[in-house]
Amino acid sequence: MSYNFLAYFALFLPIVILIYQVVPQKFRFVVLLIADYAFFILISRFLIVYLLFATVLTFLFGLWIEKISLMEDLSSKEKTKKKRKVLALGIIINILIILVLKYTNFFGGAVVDFIRIFNKNVEFRPIRFLVPIGISFYTLQIISYLTDVYRGTQKAEHKIVKIALYLSFFPQIMEGPIARYHETADALFEGKPIQFNNLKFGYQRIIWGLFKKIVIADRIFPAVKYIYRDYYMLDGSIVFFGAVVYTCQLYMEFSGAMDIIMGSGEIFGINLPENFRQPFFARTAGDFWRRWHITLGTFFKDYIFYPVSLAKPVKKAAKKIKEKCGKTVGKFVAPTVALFCVWVCNGLWHGANWTFLFYGMYYFVIIFIENITENPIKKLNEKLHIKTTNWLYRGLRTVKIFVIIVIGEMFYRADTLKQGFQMFGRIFSDFHITQLFRKFGTLRVDWLDIFIAVLGIIAVTVIGVLCEKNIKVREKIDGWKLPLRWALWLGLIMFIVIFGAYGSGYAAVDLIYAGY
Amino acid sequence: MEELIEILEEIQPGVDYTTCKTLIDDHILDSFGILSLVSEIEDAFDIEVAPAELVAENFNSAESLWAMITRLREE
Repeated sequence: MSYNFLAYFALFLPIVILIYQVVPQKFRFVVLLIADYAFFILISRFLIVYLLFATVLTFLFGLWIEKISLMEDLSSKEKTKKKRKVLALGIIINILIILVLKYTNFFGGAVVDFIRIFNKNVEFRPIRFLVPIGISFYTLQIISYLTDVYRGTQKAEHKIVKIALYLSFFPQIMEGPIARYHETADALFEGKPIQFNNLKFGYQRIIWGLFKKIVIADRIFPAVKYIYRDYYMLDGSIVFFGAVVYTCQLYMEFSGAMDIIMGSGEIFGINLPENFRQPFFARTAGDFWRRWHITLGTFFKDYIFYPVSLAKPVKKAAKKIKEKCGKTVGKFVAPTVALFCVWVCNGLWHGANWTFLFYGMYYFVIIFIENITENPIKKLNEKLHIKTTNWLYRGLRTVKIFVIIVIGEMFYRADTLKQGFQMFGRIFSDFHITQLFRKFGTLRVDWLDIFIAVLGIIAVTVIGVLCEKNIKVREKIDGWKLPLRWALWLGLIMFIVIFGAYGSGYAAVDLIYAGY
Repeated sequence: MEELIEILEEIQPGVDYTTCKTLIDDHILDSFGILSLVSEIEDAFDIEVAPAELVAENFNSAESLWAMITRLREE
């Protein structure tokens, strides 16, 4: 089962809503928890033991850190030292589990490849581990909770059931968003009755998410699959087209899944943190990452970027370089070291493959260049009297960011780093735009597919423009007259039913981020 | 407080720091700017800013920043 399956939004979710609503408020959290575990078991079966172990561990480590904070015979420094050790142990255990399950083969293969450089004959047989759903997401939630308890910004939880609810909420377990404890735990436990408005707005958002996923993403998926498989014999223009289409597919799919997730949460009165904010309207690559997978970005900012920047050895090195090379250079040292750590983690978090590591390094280099050139470009613009609010400037900037994103996604989607470079190379060595139109009929999508997908992308862009202007679209539509309102939502449902990519000729497309 | 405003103006000029209360919310200070600011105020006021202090409530205005500096100096 997945969020885009009929079994989820037309069966599982309504059943949970019904039982949740009829049960007295004090027992509603039990309904949610049973639903959470049932959803998990339906997908990952007995691997739920990992989640249960993580829940108990998180609960106990939180209490352990709190216990040290309350020790009266210790000085503040001693307490911090002890708490830091406990926090490190808690994080290491969780990271080790994920490292073994997801990265053994990657690191094992890398080590063997390295040894082979010295002509030693060693072999590594990949081990097939069963990985529970959502481990990459709930592990980050555990780290954020324990770190916040250590920092004193979050009280340790004394009810294990709240930790269990926080880590396993069924709408978010597969794809996030990565929530902080204070954002969801209380609301999940409270069991507020379902309000009509929440139900209405929640399902409206689910419909919008299904539209993005089934009508747009799944419709263009066959072209992506074909181009990425046969790239070596295709023209560079088609390869670039494939990367553009994949970027659209990924966005429509991931943000569509987020809409389904957010909508599901909204029904129960749970306001999950937003994961997208019109990413293609970004001004810089850094800005793009403040708008794309926001909760992952803020996690890395709060738990890696800031702590690494403020770590004593990094600060010491930055100070030394500042003294030797001046303030202008010195101020970049600590953030750049931290930025590097963030992008190594970001790359590896996405998967155990060199393509992901390259993807991380790609953004590290671009954001680093953006940081060091920001002020010189500002001064140059002032000197040349270039207005950055000018439509041409803004338009060119949008194109630049889009190209950066597309190239990044080209490597991200490639099976190997070699494939990524070969695809990239074809764009420059064998690019004939006429080939794209001539071979269009062979790309596993027809003109109707493209027409519907473009129509959908235009609709999503229009909504994006309105959201960018802080217009609350669903609330606006809610103010319309009843027949108009119903016509719109029923029309959208009909559109999904008629033009959705499902049934014969279409294979169900797995959610990309659900594999993490 | 005057010294703090001077530091802020050096890091991000063109902002009225006496009235602005949305330095983080309106992305006037990004994470890079925050770190430059932290480095400067640590040197200027002889304090140590922990990662837990790097939250919007402490960095949204010169006033809240000053409150954080005062608190950290007393600790």
